[in-house]
Amino acid sequence: MVSEHIIKSYDQELQRLDNIIAEMGGMAESQLAAGIEAVAKRDSELAARVVKSDARVDELEREVESLVVRLLALRQPLARDLRQIVAGLKIASDLERIADYAANVAKRAIALNQTPAVKPVSGIPRMGRLGSGMIKDVLDAFVERDAEKALAVWLRDEEMDDLYTSLFRELLTYMIEDPRNITACTHLLFMAKNLERIGDHATNIAETLYFLVHGTPLAQVRPKRDRTSLALAPNADVEDIEEDQD
Amino acid sequence: MTYEIQPIETPSRLRPHLVQMPAVDTPNATPTAEAKDQAQPKVQIKDLRFYYKSYEALKGINLTLHDKRVTAFIGPSGCGKSTLLRVLNRIYELYPDQRATGEVLVDGKDILDPRQDLNLLRARIGMVFQKPTPFPMSIYDNVAFGIRLYERPGARALDERVEEALKRSALWDEVKDKLRESGLSLSGGQQQRLCIARAIAVKPEILLLDEPASALDPISTQRIEELIADLKSDYCIVIVTHNMQQAARSSDFTAFMYLGQLIEFDTTETIFTHPKERQTEDYITGRFG
Repeated sequence: MVSEHIIKSYDQELQRLDNIIAEMGGMAESQLAAGIEAVAKRDSELAARVVKSDARVDELEREVESLVVRLLALRQPLARDLRQIVAGLKIASDLERIADYAANVAKRAIALNQTPAVKPVSGIPRMGRLGSGMIKDVLDAFVERDAEKALAVWLRDEEMDDLYTSLFRELLTYMIEDPRNITACTHLLFMAKNLERIGDHATNIAETLYFLVHGTPLAQVRPKRDRTSLALAPNADVEDIEEDQD
Repeated sequence: MTYEIQPIETPSRLRPHLVQMPAVDTPNATPTAEAKDQAQPKVQIKDLRFYYKSYEALKGINLTLHDKRVTAFIGPSGCGKSTLLRVLNRIYELYPDQRATGEVLVDGKDILDPRQDLNLLRARIGMVFQKPTPFPMSIYDNVAFGIRLYERPGARALDERVEEALKRSALWDEVKDKLRESGLSLSGGQQQRLCIARAIAVKPEILLLDEPASALDPISTQRIEELIADLKSDYCIVIVTHNMQQAARSSDFTAFMYLGQLIEFDTTETIFTHPKERQTEDYITGRFG
């Protein structure tokens, strides 16, 4: 356990920073869950609520920004304190993006509900559950300052990329089979991309947390498995061009 | 059915530009990391112990100070950082019942050796104290004082040396028209720069600064820090400071001391971003109980 500062109000401000981030994280997680539910249950009303509640996350991010500027200006933080404050700013920005993507999914759900249901929709809840789990775990890791737990989240993004790649192919196949599917599948494709990005932001948070705990950046190279940008066609063999990715 | 997306062809007339793009100069390391790589050791302190009568104020210090680099000593009051500085030019010998054991090798030669000529040592190792200590004489004579002590330059050469030292300590423009006025007529910040001019006038190799800016306002403090940054190219500089930000801003290496021991020594960047020792971290983040 880290000991307390001689100046008590400094500790209170740092605690406040952690609290806002935890609140943002909780909101991002529940918005994502609700957004996914809106897709699965074709519930436009729920989707509309998700879109609306995004404003609160934005507000919290601005609160983090002003608190961080204040801490930097008034406390001249060093070492762990400095890392916590810089990490707080970065994590808040990642969480704000995550909430944005969740809102985007919800927006598309409203549009999607106006078209007939298509089969590959089931891939979206799977990605959503994984994303929610990643956010939850990385936030637990943040609260506990557990770099190992963060590392586990970081590695799970591979699974997210795999899900995205397979859903991408599936949707492409549906669109080729029947052009009437194109509208729905395009919405689903964007949703999938949003969820894949949520995974990326969760891994960003994991990296930031690792830096916060250890003071050094995570040096490993993360296995990157989103191969959709390389997909030439539904049947193309991505293994052949794998080595070209960055 | 297979779709092939052809790569977009770059027009050939554009290619030469792409090929001839100059290599971008990427700085390969931060200044502090670079400081570590290329720094030459100037002073090697080995198992240094210091006693005020029977009280052991330094308990076996091992530390290397690098040439053309700034090393900051930080730590709470009474940790031994000023004592360590006082050993480096043996100023403690002015007082009875104070003694040092161990080795302080400057360019490989032990300055604690009783045969060491103290006047020569202090010409090589200049010191500036917390409170400005100008002599009660003119600005010119303050700077010329040390030079006259060690050398016998002609009047013209002396003028040049004084001017050079005052320029180097960033004071020349402020005093060039009143060199015959008393050093005591200057402001605190100017007096401190005058003391630095006096110290560097004798062309030392090492500069010891004991809280050089603690009695100065922020503007004068920044002038001193800028001066330190400038002087670094020629000297091995050691600065004792209670101001963490000052240590972080002006030094390449930082030594954290506590209760007469060296707890941690590393590049300043490491000490202030991710120190290895818990005690260091607690001290610099204001958690010291």
